[in-house]
Amino acid sequence: MALNLIYHFQTSQNQEHEFIPASYGVVYFFSNEGFLDKEFLTEISKSIPETNYENLTFLNLDDLKTFSLRVCQELSEKEVRLISVQDYNIGIDGAKDLKSFQEIFDKYGELIVNESAKKKGLMAKFFKS
Amino acid sequence: MTYLENSKTFDPLRPGEQWFYYWKTSAVLWESRILQFPKDQIIFLPIYWGLHAESVTSWDFGQIQPERDLLRLTQILTQHGRRFCWILPLSPAPFFPNGGIPAFSARSLALDKNGVQLAVLDHEMNLNKMFSFFDPKVFQSYTVFLKEFGTFLGKNKIKSAVWGAEFYFHQDGHNCSFLDDHSIAFEQGFSRFLKKDYPDGLEIQDAKSEKNLKQKYTQQVKQLFITTAEAALGPYWIGVQKIVTMGGSPKDTILRSIPNGKSQLDFAKDLFYQFTNSSIISSALLSPLEKKESLNWILLENFGTKEIEQRYQYFEDGRGLSDEFTPYGVIDLFGNSSRFRFSSTKLIDYLNLNFRSLYRLQMELPFNSDWIDANQDRLKLFNGEELDRKTFSQILKLFMMGQRILLDRSGLSEELEKKLQIFLVENNIKIQFINFVTTIQICELGEGLLIIFEGDKLLDNPQTEEFWPQIFKFFNLLQPEVKMDSDVFSVWKIRATSPHELSYLNVRRVNFYNPTSYKKSVSIKTHKHFAFMKMVDPTRANAKSTLSGVDVELLPNGKIALDFGHYEDI
Repeated sequence: MALNLIYHFQTSQNQEHEFIPASYGVVYFFSNEGFLDKEFLTEISKSIPETNYENLTFLNLDDLKTFSLRVCQELSEKEVRLISVQDYNIGIDGAKDLKSFQEIFDKYGELIVNESAKKKGLMAKFFKS
Repeated sequence: MTYLENSKTFDPLRPGEQWFYYWKTSAVLWESRILQFPKDQIIFLPIYWGLHAESVTSWDFGQIQPERDLLRLTQILTQHGRRFCWILPLSPAPFFPNGGIPAFSARSLALDKNGVQLAVLDHEMNLNKMFSFFDPKVFQSYTVFLKEFGTFLGKNKIKSAVWGAEFYFHQDGHNCSFLDDHSIAFEQGFSRFLKKDYPDGLEIQDAKSEKNLKQKYTQQVKQLFITTAEAALGPYWIGVQKIVTMGGSPKDTILRSIPNGKSQLDFAKDLFYQFTNSSIISSALLSPLEKKESLNWILLENFGTKEIEQRYQYFEDGRGLSDEFTPYGVIDLFGNSSRFRFSSTKLIDYLNLNFRSLYRLQMELPFNSDWIDANQDRLKLFNGEELDRKTFSQILKLFMMGQRILLDRSGLSEELEKKLQIFLVENNIKIQFINFVTTIQICELGEGLLIIFEGDKLLDNPQTEEFWPQIFKFFNLLQPEVKMDSDVFSVWKIRATSPHELSYLNVRRVNFYNPTSYKKSVSIKTHKHFAFMKMVDPTRANAKSTLSGVDVELLPNGKIALDFGHYEDI
């Protein structure tokens, strides 16, 4: 099951006399089976300090990466690919059909590997009931 | 229908809803392909306007390329006595490369609210990218195209109607227009709009004000495209349809690309959302693999020729019941933001539990004699906040005609509130005041019933759940009681009785669909007013009579229809 996350970077803003710092927000997080459950993601995001878990926004890219790795670990997945909206759009620009669309994530996504799942290996998975 | 059967019958030139993609095949094959349409069906020709572009000033309708020869196309249709009409996009159209825009105008990619580029997979899994309609170059070429197309129709005396179509996608519980955009072209256009409409400058106080101004600008541009099309195609112009494309949202593009694809259940949920929203849908983006079994049945049985032609006004609502089954509902909810309002007052929850697929949300009140006659038995619920003087007068007229109205008076303007009071006094209306959860006024005039209530008092009120059952009990809506899983879908239809069914008032048919991969059960209680007559077309389903009604078992991807005779009230 491949995990993919599309995120967007929001610059800092002054809204109604309130300063909103720059953030990295989750736009879409999905696997081969569909979009991941929002409540599940919210729960995991709560473990990252200073996260706006209602909107799934993080103060920096490292926090977003930590979050995506934790999701990966929770689902016992080997890896997750992170792609910014800008890179996703570049990918779409060059894609023509389903196949080239599917390749966007491999081509432009940043791979984060879940080492713990990797160590378990094929045999561990095989013996898992 | 299995995938293989469906693939065999699936025609990429006829992707759904009687559309014909003339540009997808050689002009030599047009005639044979057109003849494959059932003779009585109206053929809809979506105009791929970008295809006809030679250059900014030169448009080809067959002089250069045979695949653009619309005269030949219309001659074939006329020669074979086929009825047809054009569908002119008034927004990016997800069925065409570049959203239909000519390559020389496709410069600024359309973005959604997250900044994600709008790109849609079509029925052949090509990725169509949408370009912004806010780019001035698009409007320029669109205007020239319309002028040329209008001249072409006039010069060749092609008597065919043109429908304008604004295309939508459905995502996260909302229908969003493909025209709504967050691209640079939009932002630049918005700046020009502010400079023009507010020459002395404008200080935008907060995000909400900016959002409202952007909506105002979007509406202006939308209207500009409509009025330009209407002016250029005057004699042929019929009106505008909002068409919701299945599988067209950014989320759908991702879902449809992953190995599991978008499930039949999710498609069915989208379809029934549009069904209760009275939206016109297009399934043209879906591939044969996606449009199989449950989804195919739901589309054919509930969004078929009759429904399509009714929406495009080629088939009028009859006065009274006909011998054929027609869609049946018990309540209409009116207003632009009615779904949100009626959800907050827990009405939607109540209806979904007790009258699922028997209610419709309507944007406007179609106040014409045919509609009034055809829908006279349906309850009509209005949200006071959204009423203007004209609609309010029409509501009072409906009440005086003997119809049953529910009016949420919260948010009613002072003027309309005053008008209501005068109306009640002047007509000497019998009023009953009740305090139950909220303030209720029951007004009666002959058969007419007007129930006025304060909807605001239902918001965040734990007693609200008791309110709606009492109100609906008062209206005494006779309907078999159905208990089913939320993943099972149903549609009710009604017809007049035949000579050998005279003991009934009418006959009701309910279709059940199970788009899941689990077995599901449905229990129907007929009470005293309905008699189970027969089951129709069971596929992986079974029904058996019980003392209280009927029990249905639906296997994965199963469907069944049941007919009930409606007895006279005792």
